[in-house]
Order: sequence, then structure tokens, then C-alpha cells
Amino acid sequence: MTEVGAGILISALWGGLLALERRAFLQAALSRPLPAAVGVGALLGDVTSGLMVGLVFELFHLGGASLGGAHADHETLPSVTGASLAAALGHASGSDATPAVWSLAILLCAPLGIVGRRVDTRLDARARRYLGRLVDAVDAGAVEQAARQNLRAMWPHFAFSALLCGGAVVVGGLLAPVQQALPVSLVRGLAWAYPLLATVAAAAAVHASQGEGRLRIAAVVALVVALALLGALGVRTWA
Amino acid sequence: MGVTLSPWTLWRCFWRSLFLQAGFNTEGLQSLGLVFSLSPALLALYPDPAQRQAAFRRHLAPFNTHPYVAAAIVGGILFHELRIARGEAPPESVERFKALLMAPLAALGDGFFWLSLRPAVGALSVALVPLLGGWAVAVYLVLYNLVHLVARWRLFRAGLSMGEALVPRLKSLNVPRWGQRLRVLAAAAAGGSASWLAVKFGSHARGWLEPALDVASLAFGVFVVFLLSRKVSPYVLLYVAGALAIALGAAGVV
Repeated sequence: MTEVGAGILISALWGGLLALERRAFLQAALSRPLPAAVGVGALLGDVTSGLMVGLVFELFHLGGASLGGAHADHETLPSVTGASLAAALGHASGSDATPAVWSLAILLCAPLGIVGRRVDTRLDARARRYLGRLVDAVDAGAVEQAARQNLRAMWPHFAFSALLCGGAVVVGGLLAPVQQALPVSLVRGLAWAYPLLATVAAAAAVHASQGEGRLRIAAVVALVVALALLGALGVRTWA
Repeated sequence: MGVTLSPWTLWRCFWRSLFLQAGFNTEGLQSLGLVFSLSPALLALYPDPAQRQAAFRRHLAPFNTHPYVAAAIVGGILFHELRIARGEAPPESVERFKALLMAPLAALGDGFFWLSLRPAVGALSVALVPLLGGWAVAVYLVLYNLVHLVARWRLFRAGLSMGEALVPRLKSLNVPRWGQRLRVLAAAAAGGSASWLAVKFGSHARGWLEPALDVASLAFGVFVVFLLSRKVSPYVLLYVAGALAIALGAAGVV
């Protein structure tokens, strides 16, 4: 199997399994953006891309939660596809992924959060058929088989997620020549975009944290951290 | 009398409760998952086909709660089903129990796990990335699951041994207060992360531009929080920020 083929398979399997973890089994935070992206990054040989893409989506989706029957945006899909795309683009370019590649991956994959939410809602409606089969089986007295309908409903989530995550590796490979043909000024702009995208995500996290006095607390901590870091940098820069 | 459930059957019910949401659907919500969880116990408790069928029918009604605290309800249902099988309680008692606890426990679980613990651990782990790199993920998973898995198992045991008496026990834990503290931690960690990112943004430049970009980036973060409070979509802000940086970079400003 080629390296690209292995990458597609790995990303598809990881994405599919995390879709099951997120939706159907355990919900132990493995499918949260940071662990999910770092995991696929490690599997594809680019932990740094996983970390840098994952932390942005972790902050961006920090307050997302499915409450009642309403779904939040899908946080796992953009994270795994983003990290897979960045890693594949880096490999295809023959170098490590750069901040410009991370920005590109984030901007291309962020809307998959909305797509994933809509597909989740569609699959919820589709899963009613399994409830109907359960009721029929109980009425027929076949109770031993009835309960297993529960597990059948989760596989469409696996398939959908695997398809998109595997596809991200393909797209990453296809984008390599396009990225290399971009003007240097645009690549520089994309590289500058990364910390700014992360700042938006961090601001979204502060907004979503819902703690009493969250803005005051976040501002004080931000100021303390900034002064500490600037002090350290200042010694280096202006000495 | 003498009807009981073996430790193996109880373990199977607990294990299956981890799949509670697998069959979530718009009609029965988590009822498929609930029947799946209870199935080993109902098969053991009711050897008579008619009684067994009636027991399964009791749990086909729509059911929805938080997936972690559902462990307490699954445990409590087993508590009631044991009593029903022994003839100590009427079948309606288990339906009353579910109806009584489903919504309050959902609110408790959503508020603590989804809106407090998870954001706090997530934001803290991101804040630790500059110090720990990829190991921040290990911190994330250990911290979160230490609370999550212990809570799930203890809630299951509590429901199984206490039934409705579980409610005052949960009240005494004052979970909302812990949730409030965790939300403050999430805000603080997110603020720290924003600051680190702002300084990282500036560190690409040299001379006077470096502190200027740090301050501009932090100010931009504050402005984004303001816009989010005005219901501006975070996706719109993400793309505006991307376009702004690309334009500045392309124009040679930064």
C-alpha cells in the first residue's frame, strides 16, 4: 500500500472510530478537538500540526454541547479533517507543515462543524426505523434480539465521518502543488493568519465559558500572562 | 423472594449503559439505548415470556437524560425491577422513578459535565500546550476521565442501592457550586491562552512592531468577545480574521 493510501486508511479509521466515541460509546473526550487532532497527527507522523489545528478548534468549540435533543456543531470532524489535511499537505510538499498550512486547513475545514451537525440531525430522524424494529420485536416476543437494534443505528455516523476524514488526506495531497504556486505574499499572509485565528477561538472560549465575571477574570489573567511574556521577550528584543 | 442479579449481570448492564446514545433518534430519544442497557437484567429477572415482554414494554417510552448521569437512572431502574420481580412493588413504580429523575438529572449533568468540567479541562489543557506540548492531551484525558468514569460508576452503584433516596444524596454534593468554580477556571485558562497567542502573533515581528502587534492582537480578542456578545457568528469572525491577516500579509504591512 502506498504512503498516501495508508494515510487515507488511518485517517478514515480514526475519524470513524471517534465518531462512534463521540456519539455512541463512552464520550470520554477522545473525540474532543485537541485529543482527536493530536491523535491523527501522531498517526500520520505530524504531531505539531495536530496540536496547532486541535488547539484552535478546542477553543473554538469549547462551549458547544448537545442539550436536550438539539445538537451542537460537530467539533470532531473539523479537527480530524483539519489535522489530516495539514499533515498530508506537509508530506506532499516534502517539508513540515507551516503556520500557513495550519491556517489553510482551519479555514477549509471549519465549516464541517456545521455540516456535521446537520448530518447528525438527519441521522437521528433515520434512526427512528431502529426504534420501530425494536417495538415490533418486543411485540413478537423476540426480546433477546430486540435490544441489538441500538447498535445498528451508530454505523452511519462511522461511515460519514470516515469518508470525510479519509477524503481530507486526498485533498491535502491535491492542494500541495496549488500551495507551492501561491505568491509569497499570500503565503506570508496565511502564516500571519494562524495566531489571529487562534485569538478568535480563544475569545470564543472566553465568551462560552459562562462563568460569573468571566470577562473580568479572563482579562486579568490575560494581562498577567502578557506582561510576564512581554517582560521575557523584552529582555531578548531590546537588550 | 430471593430474586437477585449476579455481579456479572450488573456489570453487563453498566457496560451497556456506556452505549446509551448509540441509537438516539427523534422519536424515542435514548429509549433504544436504555432497553439495550437493561436487557441482561430483564432477561435474568423474568424467565416467564409474558412477564419478560411486559418488562421490556415498560421501557419503550421516550427517554432522555445526560449520558453520564443516566448511570444513576439505570441503577435505579434495576433497583425497582428487582423489587417488582420479587413482588414488593407495582410495575408503575419504575415508570414513576424514571419520570421523576430524567429531567432534573439531565439538567445536573449538562450543567456540570458539558458546560463546566469539559470546558475547564479543555481550556486548561490548551493553556498547558506551551509548557507540555503534546503531553497536554494526556493531562486532558486523565483529568477529565478521572472525574467522568468515577462519577459514572458511583452513580450506577448509588442508583442500584438507593433508588429514589439518591436524590437527597446528590443534593448534598452541591454540584452546581463546583460547576461555577470550573467555569471560572475555564474563563481564566482561555484568557491566558488568548494572551499567549497574542504574544506569539507579535513575536514574528521585531523592534517597535512586536509590542504593537501584541497589544493589537489582545485588543482584537476583546473586540471579538464584544461582537460575540452581540450575537455575531463565530464563523464569520474566524473568516474575517483570516481575511484581515492575509490582506495585511499580502500588502507587506506585517
